[in-house]
Amino acid sequence: MTPREWASRLWATFRPTRSDRDLEDELRAHLELAADEERRCRTPEGSAERSARLRVGGVAQAMEAQRDQRGLTWLENFARDVRFACRTLRKAPGFTAVAVLTLALGIGANSAMFSVINAVLLRPLPFPSPERLVAVASIDLRATAGPSGSASWPDFFDWRSSARTFEHLSAYRETGFTLVDGGRASHVPGAVVTSDLLSTLGVKPALGRDFRGDEERAGADVALISDSIWRSQFAAAPDIVGRAVTLNSRRFTIVGVMPPAFHFPVSVPAAQIWITSAEDARVDNPADSPMTAERGAHFIKVIGRLRATASVASAQAELEVIAAGLARAHPDDSGNRSVRAVSELGRLVGDTRQPLFVLLAAVGCVLLIACVNLANLLLARGAGRGREMALRTALGASGRRIVLQLLTESLVLAALGTGCGLALAYGSTAALVRLAPVTVRGLDQVMIDGVVIAFTAVMGGASALCFGLIPAFQTSRTDSAIGGAASARTTQGRGQRRLRGALVIAEMAIGVVLLLGAGLLLRSFDRLLRTPPGFEAQHLVTATFRLPDSRYSYLKQIVFYENVLADLRALPGVDSAAAAAPLPLSGSRYSISFQQSGVERPQSERLSADFGMVSPGYFRTLQVPLVRGREFSATDSDAAPRVVIVNERFARQYFGDVDPLGQRIKPGLSTTEKETPWREIVGVVGDIRHQRLSEESRPAYFVPYAQGLISPLSLVVRTNNTNGMVEDIRKTLARKDPELALYDVKTMEEYLATSVATPRFQTLLLALFATVGLALTAVGLYGVMAYGVAQRTREFGIRLALGARPGEVLGLVLRGALTLISTGLIMGMVAGALATRMLASTLYSIDPLDPATFAGVATILTAVALVASYVPARRAIRVDPIAALRSE
Amino acid sequence: MSNRESDRADTLQGTLDIMVPQTVATVGPVHGYSIAARLEQVANGAIHLNMGTVYPGLMRLEQRGLIHGKWRVTENNRKARFYAFTAAGHRQLATAREYWERTASIMYSLLNEVP
Repeated sequence: MTPREWASRLWATFRPTRSDRDLEDELRAHLELAADEERRCRTPEGSAERSARLRVGGVAQAMEAQRDQRGLTWLENFARDVRFACRTLRKAPGFTAVAVLTLALGIGANSAMFSVINAVLLRPLPFPSPERLVAVASIDLRATAGPSGSASWPDFFDWRSSARTFEHLSAYRETGFTLVDGGRASHVPGAVVTSDLLSTLGVKPALGRDFRGDEERAGADVALISDSIWRSQFAAAPDIVGRAVTLNSRRFTIVGVMPPAFHFPVSVPAAQIWITSAEDARVDNPADSPMTAERGAHFIKVIGRLRATASVASAQAELEVIAAGLARAHPDDSGNRSVRAVSELGRLVGDTRQPLFVLLAAVGCVLLIACVNLANLLLARGAGRGREMALRTALGASGRRIVLQLLTESLVLAALGTGCGLALAYGSTAALVRLAPVTVRGLDQVMIDGVVIAFTAVMGGASALCFGLIPAFQTSRTDSAIGGAASARTTQGRGQRRLRGALVIAEMAIGVVLLLGAGLLLRSFDRLLRTPPGFEAQHLVTATFRLPDSRYSYLKQIVFYENVLADLRALPGVDSAAAAAPLPLSGSRYSISFQQSGVERPQSERLSADFGMVSPGYFRTLQVPLVRGREFSATDSDAAPRVVIVNERFARQYFGDVDPLGQRIKPGLSTTEKETPWREIVGVVGDIRHQRLSEESRPAYFVPYAQGLISPLSLVVRTNNTNGMVEDIRKTLARKDPELALYDVKTMEEYLATSVATPRFQTLLLALFATVGLALTAVGLYGVMAYGVAQRTREFGIRLALGARPGEVLGLVLRGALTLISTGLIMGMVAGALATRMLASTLYSIDPLDPATFAGVATILTAVALVASYVPARRAIRVDPIAALRSE
Repeated sequence: MSNRESDRADTLQGTLDIMVPQTVATVGPVHGYSIAARLEQVANGAIHLNMGTVYPGLMRLEQRGLIHGKWRVTENNRKARFYAFTAAGHRQLATAREYWERTASIMYSLLNEVP
């Protein structure tokens, strides 16, 4: 069939181009012409028509052949079946409502879940040819933990100059700026980037120009700004390009405005201002070396655009060769390092992939349960339609046509369910976005788009086959011999009863697996919430500000913090105030190598531990127990001997049974000293879960901020008035210096909540899905039991009439139910034991085979199942024997 | 339908799509009866075309956009649907002719090969 013919026939199926009348006229004309000829030649008048008809064939057959050619017969049949199915379903509104609702729940949950997966895992990055964007990071070959994803400036420069597999290779780091505008200071998130970042991403400024290559050199103070800040801070001034802006007390020239949709680095909150790596090439003191020369400082991220001919693997291979050369050239800093290239999307997706697939598997289970329910409903319905099927068969419908008709009915149900499911998913995406952890890429952009609709439609079609096929064949097989009056009295056959029993068992088993997963996650989450973080998170307000290096020298910064803390401590309602960086659970972690006195190691083999700089009173403010020794005090100043506090884990790991107090370590950290100093351990504090609640604390050491200030500190205030405190802190700071902006203003409890947002999201969703699954299972079991009892009304009537006690009949029904329940339960437990292994990496301090969870699930499910079967069973003993027998 | 008859109809199926346009090309706009009569005459009674074969065939060609039908009056003052070529039909016939001539000559050489 040519495409043109196909289109023409498709069109004609719904809107005949030539009416039957027209076709018939043509055939009649043919007959008349033939008769004319017969007359002319030989045949005597009167029989010409007859012999013409014999010669050219009958009109009716020719019409049929033409109709077949005109449209698409199968499509016409299908359309007829759809209309018939709609009529049939309208006549059974109860059945239709239950079926559509069941499907809507199953399909809606899948649709919503897939919309999340689509946004997080599948939707490409919003840049041209996003598949060619690759993240490159330096990795520590000795590290046991995962790669940090960062690199150092000198490493990056060497990669950039040597690598041939990349069109562009760029580096960036996130930062924040204090923007002063008309005397008002505000904190603006931003990034320090190399000059060709936009070329790498394939983006151009909407206004003005991109950075130039020579603007990576120190002194080039140029900035690109976002569309939103251009509108909010500069009133969308058309002459913005070339204007000056004050960032961190330095003047920058704005060279361009980015398009509104531009969002890079992909993080929350989004960067608003971009400046070049000139920032890191700059030094305030000519004797210092700039950050761009520190090969051991890994704090930038690298992204590259592959050449069209290159792949991630070829880039990886090339970079490994370059890294090996660097390791030989700089054994101290790069001796144990190599490099890893992964797709940028893969880096962003990171470890969210697995939990999402677990959830998708869970909603898949919900849909399966829904399908099993529907199959059961259809089987029950089909058994009651024996008379209709027999009649249709008797009228000449083939088995195939009947199966197709029944399948069409399933398809119509599925279509209705899919529509309602999509509406349900559409309504729930807003709630999903609200519940979702903000740190996961794409979760803020969950929506029902074409991809999700297509997926949902496929799911709907597959479900229709899944729940419709077996009932369709079963129903169509109704023997026509038992048609007519007899079919009204037949009880369901043994095979049918077995089939329905098997379906219930399958449903129970799937329900068990779902509940097991949800139960394990719930218990794991509960344990996570009960995990002490190592400090008291209540009543703590935190906030950060940045002191511009250009106006505050190192010593001036220390004095400033000291004065601010003194003012804060004097405020009413403040129990204690301290400053530190990095804050626990804030997402940032510093790791600095150290030497241990008396233990000699080459520089490349040096040990590394978590590092923090803290003010006097920090541990008291956080209520971290002081195990031994003392806290820092005001006397641990820049002029005093260098001291350090370690945590218990550090003490245990590096000093064992030896008393760590008085021992010395030398962290690779110096500020005003000429040489990296040795530091004496003066205290041991309790362990803090720094990175996340689920991660054991690592060895860590802390120095007084006056002896090692290397980044802005965060203020931590313990107060019984967390709400009013923020304004007090703001005022205190403004009195000291009005050009400072406070940012990351959060309570410690908010940090705590953020750190458990991802497991909370996953647990909540899985619990929700399991509840839906449990409800559907209960409904399914109820349906099967109720139908079974209804079918056996006569039998029960006879039993009761012959003297069976009601309790015996009740026992009979419940025994049948228990067999199904226990079989399903056992199968579910076995399947669950295998499936929950998938969860192992997500579970916190709980075994995937946790006996308590397994026992709990068994109890809940048995209880629900017994209730679902007890209600119909009660009905069995209320059968009136006389009425049952009279219905004969 | 007996086996013999269905064989004959099947053979016809492929060739009808050539024979009908060729007839239209030879005699110009023509109605279904005339096409059938002419083909039967050319074949010397070897083929027989009833309405159930002719008209679905014509409809198929029309659906492919190769011919186009219009009601007109015959010389005997009877109404009939006359079929004429479209531009695409002309092109299609040329291609089909070439194909058939080549096939026929190959078959001829093959069947007359001296062993």
